[in-house]
Amino acid sequence: MQFPFVVFPSQPSGAFPGVKTVKRPLLFLTFQRGQKIINGLAVVDSGADECIFPASWAAQLDIAIPNQNTYVFSGTADAPQLAYFENIQIHVWNNAVSPSQIAFSFDLYAGFCETLEHVGMGLLGQNGFFSRFPIRVDNAKNSFDIDV
Amino acid sequence: MAAIAPIDLTAVLKDAPAGEWIALSRDEQRIVGTGKTLDEALSEAKKQGEGEPIVLKVPPVSALIL
Repeated sequence: MQFPFVVFPSQPSGAFPGVKTVKRPLLFLTFQRGQKIINGLAVVDSGADECIFPASWAAQLDIAIPNQNTYVFSGTADAPQLAYFENIQIHVWNNAVSPSQIAFSFDLYAGFCETLEHVGMGLLGQNGFFSRFPIRVDNAKNSFDIDV
Repeated sequence: MAAIAPIDLTAVLKDAPAGEWIALSRDEQRIVGTGKTLDEALSEAKKQGEGEPIVLKVPPVSALIL
């Protein structure tokens, strides 16, 4: 199943003075726990070990933070980061066909952390996502394939 | 893999406040709420009749390396 890259506005910089946009392999997702849902974006990130999302999304799903399912991890920041995990369901949108149409769903043991609050989107990493679905990214064609 | 058009959010996010939560309509065409907190953005979206918007942020920096 093919998904398009998502293009965001960006600011020209000293290193990249002509760059005004940035494209990313992102999925539009509905996160569900019982009757609670929230819709957000997540980067398909083969370099992330786990699937982790902003902490404020946990509150929308009635997931108490902190909880006992703690996980300490490292990113580009120099300090260890803490995520709290819970079982949720993920519904992946098929925007190439129609906005908010569900392409497929899966259960996920998902982490929520404060350090992704400033990013405002999540990460779909190796455990729980790449471990479940073969994925091919084609940057030149602005798309990626997920074998569902 | 055949080429498909990317989803371009540059127009809708052009004037979005950097670093704040943004609620987009489900068709990704309109900003229906903003706020310093997620609750503020969701509350504003609900007032606009968009009960289940897409939430995201435009980071105050140009690039993400996660």
